[in-house]
Amino acid sequence: MSADPLKEPPPKTFRLSVDGWAVAVALVLALLVRLGLIHRVPW
Amino acid sequence: MAQGSIALPQAQAFRLGPKLLQLVPGVLLLAAIGYLGKFVEQAVAAYAKAHHLHVPNIEYVLWAIVFGMVVSNTVGVPAVFQPGVLTYEFWLKAGIVLLGARFLLGDVLRLGGISLTLVVLELAVAFTFMTLLGRWFGLKPKLTSLLAVGSAVCGVSAIIATKGAIDADDDDSSYAVAAILALGAIALFTFPLIGHWLHLGDRAYGMWAGLAVDNTAEATAAGAMYSDAAGKIAVLAKTTRNAMIGFVVLGYALYWSRKGEAQQVEGKAAFLWHKFPKFVLGFLLISLLATVGVFSKPQIGSLANSSRWAFLLTFAGVGLRTNLKELKLQGLRPFAVGAIGEAVIAAVTLGMVLVATRVFNL
Repeated sequence: MSADPLKEPPPKTFRLSVDGWAVAVALVLALLVRLGLIHRVPW
Repeated sequence: MAQGSIALPQAQAFRLGPKLLQLVPGVLLLAAIGYLGKFVEQAVAAYAKAHHLHVPNIEYVLWAIVFGMVVSNTVGVPAVFQPGVLTYEFWLKAGIVLLGARFLLGDVLRLGGISLTLVVLELAVAFTFMTLLGRWFGLKPKLTSLLAVGSAVCGVSAIIATKGAIDADDDDSSYAVAAILALGAIALFTFPLIGHWLHLGDRAYGMWAGLAVDNTAEATAAGAMYSDAAGKIAVLAKTTRNAMIGFVVLGYALYWSRKGEAQQVEGKAAFLWHKFPKFVLGFLLISLLATVGVFSKPQIGSLANSSRWAFLLTFAGVGLRTNLKELKLQGLRPFAVGAIGEAVIAAVTLGMVLVATRVFNL
């Protein structure tokens, strides 16, 4: 319990780490490529 | 920042969030410098071909790093660009995850197994030698621990993780980070030269760079400077090294807590999971998907090219964060310990790779 009952507890926030963002973005990109929404990435 | 700090605050501070727009200028700067590197590589090659000149191919990797260093060491990186420039670690990890598409899981397990064997040997050599060197040079024991972790495992990330676990001073971690970054910058330019001088094959060189160069970004760049194939193997070997970070930090945390100079470690399994680099799981997942045939050949090509673009931004970031003036300000003794240690680790790992090349037919 909070020491001050009148004080609202801070809202729970969900933060992704750099690793989490990197994996999430890479997987979304892989999905887009798999679905053909990104047809070709040139180099 | 403390003495011996680097040009930019560490990437651990980077968080994607509501202030996404703040990242745009720096990301554009990374893209511009990286693309300039790619453009110059192609322009030099085209000029040499048109004029029948025999010019050695200088990879875009080197150009991007050099252009980044020119900016960082002349005009500096203005504050408006810094949040975006710090995303280089995000691009690095996203690039590694996407690179998984170029590995069949069987190759990952085979090469990863060889890497793991070599990494365990490398860790034993690195910790023993760095600890002895620290004593000989009269460094503080916790600074020695940080330097040992930085040179043995994974550079800056490992130092930051260990600092918290062993309650080391801010100054100690700043010294260790600065020394490891300076040595990483030196390795970037010396490793490809030594590799060419010794006529190392792509796989042997990539394995060596992945085992011996600190910091994932520098190891990736040192590998990619040699060849595309060497870069691929360097990433795999370095990722195996990164996967050991939890065990190493846990070992040091237990050592210092037994001496009464660090907090007790509650829940070792949770500690290991917390320290484990999660992008390794993403790399394995993409590799698994590629292995079971989820992606067609052109799609794998697209994912591989996406990985290259992500690395392009990373290499520009490596150049932008390397400030020679500030690196010079660090103490001489930590640098000397790091430099001697790195040279010995590089020599020992080179020997191990040459043996492994014969034994495992790399």
